[in-house]
Formats: sequence, structure tokens, C-alpha cells
Amino acid sequence: MAAAEAAGLIAVGAGLAVGLTGLGAGIAEGNVGAAAVGAITEDASLFGKAMIFMVLPETIVIFGLVISILAIFVM
Amino acid sequence: MFKRSVRKGNYAYAVTRVKAKKSKLLKEEDYDKMIQMSVPEISRYISEAGYQKEMTDLAGKYSGITLVEHATYQNMANVFNSILGASQGELADMVAAYLEKWDLWNLKVILRGKSYGVDADGIREDLVLAGKVDEESLNKLISLDSVEDVLSESSRTGMVTIPNEVIASYKETGNLGVVEDHLDKLHYQRLLDSINPYTQPTRIFLNYIRKEIDIVNLKTIMKLKHEGIYGDEVMKYYIPGGMEIDTKYAQLLANYDTIKASLGDLSRLEVFEEYIKPAMEGDDITHKGILSSMKKYQADQAKKMAHMYPLSVLPIIDFMVAKETEVRNIRVVARGVDGGLSRETIKGLVVI
Repeated sequence: MAAAEAAGLIAVGAGLAVGLTGLGAGIAEGNVGAAAVGAITEDASLFGKAMIFMVLPETIVIFGLVISILAIFVM
Repeated sequence: MFKRSVRKGNYAYAVTRVKAKKSKLLKEEDYDKMIQMSVPEISRYISEAGYQKEMTDLAGKYSGITLVEHATYQNMANVFNSILGASQGELADMVAAYLEKWDLWNLKVILRGKSYGVDADGIREDLVLAGKVDEESLNKLISLDSVEDVLSESSRTGMVTIPNEVIASYKETGNLGVVEDHLDKLHYQRLLDSINPYTQPTRIFLNYIRKEIDIVNLKTIMKLKHEGIYGDEVMKYYIPGGMEIDTKYAQLLANYDTIKASLGDLSRLEVFEEYIKPAMEGDDITHKGILSSMKKYQADQAKKMAHMYPLSVLPIIDFMVAKETEVRNIRVVARGVDGGLSRETIKGLVVI
């Protein structure tokens, strides 16, 4: 019973790690994306740079994903 | 939540667009080069610096200095319209309130045109479509017969509110000045009312506008003194709502009969030490030099506030001030070169 509870809590923790980082990345990408589109509208040659800035917040989700994988498979 | 975020304004998008536009503005070295050129060379130079579309569009209609003047105004109007179009929510409201001065400018052009019997095309040539009132509405005003008709139509559509005593005073004297002064006051009153100072950036914006009112009042006082007008006559043009210059202080400055005599009291102003004082040093005091240095103060204030809050209305206002200054500078250089002014004089009038 206790083992099942622990496994459940780990699953919840893993879910929160991915979910909350996803939410954070979404908020950040909202602003970065708006700014990127603004920059590209004015100067299309900025597309490459804007794209790099656009995906930067996604690293936060990768951190969350790593934590959740560690939580599920290592703990 | 989403409704609220739309209402709040799309600062990230609008500010980035504005910053990209700002990076393309002319620099000091560009003006240095332009001062050495002739008017056709200046036309070519500004075509390569972002004014290509307007120069090409208007090249069939105008030439020389007139082409430069119309193309720069047209370009400014297009740029301001694109900023207004790119803004949403409270940001769009603030930008529109700031740009309302061009609506009132257009209304003044129409009123003056009607007053002097200029034909519709002549009036249309001088319009700057940088405000929120569209061309169709302005054309409707142009098609009216008299100044009275234009005033009543613009009051009916809610564009402006003109009190009966102002209209009565105009009818009595036939002097459009009273209506124009009222429009200037109305613009600042509406602009101050439209800014809700509930955040630090909007408070800074409000203070900037109040400082702008001070500069407008100071310029009026200086210009009138230069013309030999002082005392109560000056106070007719006083715009309330300034930061440092209240009615009492304005009256005090207005009462001096020359600019030099008012120096002692002018020194209380923030703008004095760095901007007015250097322009007044030596015997060669030109009121144009002082006006230019006050324009520089205004541009510097906008520049200073732009860096305080990157995601706010402040960088957008800074850009609009910088764009207006650029257009003014191009016209000053082109007019100066055309009129045969010395390079030093033109350089002194350029605001950088």
C-alpha cells in the first residue's frame, strides 16, 4: 500500500515538474514570440536569430522533463 | 484572463517593432554628410535611408525641397499609422491620444484653408495623416463650405469640442487664432485625461507630457517676447497642466519684457542649466537657438525614460519623438542648404 502511495506521489511530482515548467515556458514564449514576430515584420533577415530566442524558453521544459524522468525511473 | 491581457496591450510586439524602426533612424554622421550636400543629393540620400517609397510616390507631383518636405511628412504619417495599427488595448489608447495632435493639426490646416479660400486639393496637400481620424472623415470636412461648417461638423462627430464663447469670439473678430489656441489646450487636456497613472511607466509618461506642456509654454513665452509681446497677452496662450510652470510662474515669466530680463527666474527650471543657459551665452542670442535647445531637452527626456521600462509605452513615445525630430532635422537641413545658410548655422539648428 505504502509502495503504491509512493509511486503515486512520484507520478504526481513528475507530472507537476513537466506541467509547471511547460506553463512557465508557455508564458515566456508568448512574450518572446510576440517580440520575435515584431522583429521579423520589420526585418525578415532576423528570422534565424528570432527563432533561436524563440526556442530558448523550451529548455525549461527539458529541465522539467529530466526531473520527471529521474523521478520515475531512478527513484 | 485573456480579455484582460488584450486590454493591457501587446507591449512585447509593439516595442520590438518600434526598436527595429528606431535602429534605422538617421545618426549624427548622416546629418554631417547631408549638410555638405545639395537638395537633390539630400533627396537621394534620404531615399536610401528609408524614405524611398514616399519619395517615389510623390516624385511625379513635387520636386526639390517641396518633395523632401512632403515625402518626410508622408513617411512619418505612415510610420505612426503602422505603430498605431500594431498596438492593442490600453497601449493603442495611449498612442492614439498622443497622435491626436496630428488630427488637430489637420483640423487647423482645414480651418486655415477654408479661412483663406484655399481649394480642396491645396488643403489636402498639407494634411499629415498620422492621427486616428481617417482620410474619409477629413475629406468630408474639406468638402464643407465655411469655417463655421467645419467647426460644427467636427463638434458633431465628437472630434473636438469647441465652447460657444470660442466660436462667438471667432465670429466677432474673424481671427482663427482663438480656435487654434483652444485646440492646442484641448489636445493636452485630453492627453492628460487619457493617461491612467496606475503603473510606474504610465506615471513616467504622464510626467513626460507635463514636462512637454512646460516646454510648449516656455516656447510660447519666448517666441512672444521675441515679437515684443509680454504680460497678460502672453497668458492667453498658456496651457495648464505643466509640471514646473504653473499659472503664477507663467505670469511671472510673461511679465518680463525681454528674454534676457527673465533669466533670473528661468534659472529655477530643470531645463535651464543644461539647455537654455548654454544657448544664451555670448552676445549672439537667437531665439531659434533657444527653441532648438528646448527641442533637444524634450528628445533627451524621451530618450532617458525609454530605457526605464522596456516593455511599456515609454520606448514607443521615445521613438515617436525621435522620428518627429528626424523629420524636422531633414527639413531644417534641406531648407538651410536651399536657403544658403552656413554649415555651422544649420548644424546648430539640427537636434541630435
